[in-house]
Amino acid sequence: MQSSKKVVVLGHFGVGKTSLIRRFVTDTFSDNYKVTIGVHITKKVVEIAVDSTISLILWDLEGTDDIQSIRQSYLLGTHGAVFVFDISRPSTFQHLNEDLQLVAEKMPEVPLMVVGNKSDLVEDAELKNLLQAQELTVDFLTSAKTGSAVNELFLKLATILSSDA
Amino acid sequence: MYPKMDEKDKLEILKDILLADEHEFEAKISRRIEQLEQTVNEREKLSEKVDPIIAFQLQEFKESIPENLGPTITETLRKEIKINKDVVVDALYPILGKMIKKYVAQEMKLLSDKMNNQLSFLSIGKRKFRSFFTGKKEEELMMDDLATARIQQVLLIEKDSGILKASFSQSDAMDEEMVSGMLTAIKSFVEDAFNQRDQNLELIEYELYRIHLQSFATHYVAVVISGNFVLSAKNKLQDIIFDFYNSFMAMNLDLVFETNNAQKSIVPVPKSRVERELAKYFGNAKL
Repeated sequence: MQSSKKVVVLGHFGVGKTSLIRRFVTDTFSDNYKVTIGVHITKKVVEIAVDSTISLILWDLEGTDDIQSIRQSYLLGTHGAVFVFDISRPSTFQHLNEDLQLVAEKMPEVPLMVVGNKSDLVEDAELKNLLQAQELTVDFLTSAKTGSAVNELFLKLATILSSDA
Repeated sequence: MYPKMDEKDKLEILKDILLADEHEFEAKISRRIEQLEQTVNEREKLSEKVDPIIAFQLQEFKESIPENLGPTITETLRKEIKINKDVVVDALYPILGKMIKKYVAQEMKLLSDKMNNQLSFLSIGKRKFRSFFTGKKEEELMMDDLATARIQQVLLIEKDSGILKASFSQSDAMDEEMVSGMLTAIKSFVEDAFNQRDQNLELIEYELYRIHLQSFATHYVAVVISGNFVLSAKNKLQDIIFDFYNSFMAMNLDLVFETNNAQKSIVPVPKSRVERELAKYFGNAKL
């Protein structure tokens, strides 16, 4: 039996939320930056085991510098969430822990994946130092451009959601 | 004793004395010409002087285009369309043609579906019968039938998450799960914007279709309707939705929470069963 789960993808402006979803759903990437207004909804059926699939309904929320200002109605009934920041732009993760605290308050008990995107723009060693210096705990470092770790991210979330069902 | 001067030297001294002012004037003019030459020959210096003038002229020209050239352009286009109609049509066809083609195809399909229904043996029989008893012409009855609102699609959607629970459709034209999410986002946005928690978005108009939204406690029903969706049709549709709710949803604790029976465990109803019920209630409904 296939179940459907609502997943919201949120974060600051221009961190690559839409690109991440596009890479996952259609396996494409575009350098053309278009701002998401309101919300954009896409769907992908993920095979988590033989004869077991889950339908992820992905809510790509418009970027905001103030996580508090996200419309509560868009978050209602969420089964899983992905918080994305841009590792090449410190302003998007300077207050990461506070941002995550707010997300947890808005969606208590919802499984959350913390993702540093645009890993192709930063050297590995630099990245390691950066994460250590900022004391950041990140679930995945992805690149929507190269596709690195994108499928792994959504597959892990899908697996968690299917076991919650 | 001064050296002896000849006539030529004397003349030169005299010229110098008499033309002193002219010499100075000549030198001044040469310096100005030199400066001008420099300005004209050096691009940067020239553009420094000329650019503001050109910019001003261009701006004036731009502003005067609608007034001065507007009628000429309109007239030219009019003539061009008259003379080279085919060329203009060719140029516009890719843009307009696709839109018109799509619209006409959609309309023809709808009309053809409706005509097929109307011309079936059973429909003709029914119409003759109705015509005999009502005294109305068969053509009029046929036109009435064609304009009737029809249910094209029914979606049963979880209110908060926008997850589709079950659906009934006359045709598989869209991704129902994505549409359910989008409808929920629109609904949430409108209800948020008006800041009225106790009010709900009830109708969305989409060209030839209307999407009627009926909200309940935890779910809402979205019904896509084609044709003339008048008040009487809306009332009939609401009756059908409430009947469905009362006779089926109320039994399903996964969908509706009964406060007087809170201890009862939640029994999820299989999607296939909900869809069978939707088809039963909405499939042959007349609005």
